[in-house]
Amino acid sequence: MDSSSTIVDNLRRSVERNPEGCAVSQSGFDLSYSKLWAQVMAVAGHLQGRGLACGDRVALVLKNSTAYIAAYYGALAAGGIVVALNASAKSPDLAQWIRHSGATWLFIDRDNDQSKTLLDCLDPRPCTVWVGASAATPTDCLQDFDAILAAAEMPTRSAPVGHDLASILYTSGTTGRPKGVLLRHANLLSNTNAIVDYLGLGRDDSSVTVLPFYYSYGNSVLNTHLSAGARISLADNLVYPQLLVQRLVDERSTGFAGVSSTYSLLLSRVRLADYDLSSLRYVTQAGGSMSPTLTQSLVAALPQCAIFVMYGQTEASARLCYLPPDRLLEKMGSVGVAVQDVRIEVRHDDGRKTNADEIGEVWARGPNVMVGYWRDPVATAATLQDDWLKTGDSGYQDQDGFLYLVGRRSDIIKAGAHRIHPADVERVIAEVPGVEEVAVVGVDDEVLGQAVKAFVVATPGVSLDLMGIRAHARSQLSSYKVPKYLELVASLPKTSSGKVRRGELINMGAPKHEA
Amino acid sequence: MSIRKSIKSFILRNYLFTDDDSALSDTESLVHAGIVDSTGILELIVHVEEAWGIQVLAEEMVPDNFDSVDRVVDFISRKQQILV
Repeated sequence: MDSSSTIVDNLRRSVERNPEGCAVSQSGFDLSYSKLWAQVMAVAGHLQGRGLACGDRVALVLKNSTAYIAAYYGALAAGGIVVALNASAKSPDLAQWIRHSGATWLFIDRDNDQSKTLLDCLDPRPCTVWVGASAATPTDCLQDFDAILAAAEMPTRSAPVGHDLASILYTSGTTGRPKGVLLRHANLLSNTNAIVDYLGLGRDDSSVTVLPFYYSYGNSVLNTHLSAGARISLADNLVYPQLLVQRLVDERSTGFAGVSSTYSLLLSRVRLADYDLSSLRYVTQAGGSMSPTLTQSLVAALPQCAIFVMYGQTEASARLCYLPPDRLLEKMGSVGVAVQDVRIEVRHDDGRKTNADEIGEVWARGPNVMVGYWRDPVATAATLQDDWLKTGDSGYQDQDGFLYLVGRRSDIIKAGAHRIHPADVERVIAEVPGVEEVAVVGVDDEVLGQAVKAFVVATPGVSLDLMGIRAHARSQLSSYKVPKYLELVASLPKTSSGKVRRGELINMGAPKHEA
Repeated sequence: MSIRKSIKSFILRNYLFTDDDSALSDTESLVHAGIVDSTGILELIVHVEEAWGIQVLAEEMVPDNFDSVDRVVDFISRKQQILV
């Protein structure tokens, strides 16, 4: 791999190979590679023209859109570090991430209902670019995305190279230290190229995507397709699964990416056999394990399709392992083997390698592994050791080297495509008067994989209104963090040092709530 | 309890966590207002099936039938007429 190359170079090459090919489709409107590139250059030229220096952080609070893609690649082409933030997050989370990253630029959807409160609490305010219909008069620090595209300034400084920093992706919320995964262009490029290679992506491919680009998985779908000269079609969400399947049919999509819950939702309400999905040559699954039962249902529903079960982490740019589809049935339950140029080892707590079939922690090493956590040397040192990434996942490798995951060592809850830190939810519930203590865990959920459950201890003599607790959580947290289940308990199980025994709570039986 | 009252109460209690009737208008888009997501809409559909004994077909799972209190009420009413 050329060490000076970046994913922006990959995009440029796709533009040169097929300038009139469709890069992105949104709401029936197709954007060609040449037109996308013009937008990318306009954003880069605008940022450089207003003083963006190499390594300056550019925050994106944008839903999936052509504007997101132009802003993302434009900021990278200008030499900036993209800080892609969850567009459905509440303003306290967004403000914390923007402060922590030190972002001096912000691209935000005009219709984001958090934008006003977010900007009101940022001091100094980043230079802000509104995306979407605008009536405001642009100023030095309040700018309009469409006007930037129309001005079409060209960048004047040289493009970034592989060693330059490219991206910060935050994996936790406001409680404790925010963890921003810092990636170089070379990290993203190596992983992008590896994925393009094993999926066999080319310019004839097209994918309808529902995964948000601000997450690692969605980001990899974006980068791989534009690197391959393929077409990405943006879909709003999965709320009406039948409409999504119809779109796959209408657009003759060749690929689709989802998390376990995506397939659970699709299979539960739509008879895929009733649709002509003959063009769909592959689907991918990542972002948490998929049960063998669901995998087998997917195989039965899409017999013509290669099904790629994958495993990764944001800290590894996205992807660490994939299960070759021709081994899927033979190695059911496995997440496969390491992707190109990556090594996987399973180790004991003392760092020694385990034997085959012996459970330990999954470690990974490769060109896709992050630089570290932004401005957090302590967390970095705890996670990166001698160029190896400690994933925090438990698993084992079989005699053939296929990896099987058996659990997480951390408390992170994986609900659908989202990652939730219990402490973020606990902090908000603890604000409710009458809540003495609270502990939040992930419990098994047929559709989401895991669902958020809160165990609440009331202050003696207080009668808690559980619906009120959920209402408060909804007002303060992104909707996916609001506990699906609440249970009042007399006390929380704890260790002798006073730490909550979360494992015991997880095992305390079926989820229930009384709200 | 009328269909409208029952559907509205279900949405208020399960997605907005309130009994305050004014928290949701009957015409408000449940998706665009961020009230239901992909799993929420399935819960609503299962509730409609169980509470009114009707079957929601895949092709009926569209915004025209489920994206507001008004639309859900109309949908249930139409399905009940078919059943009769």
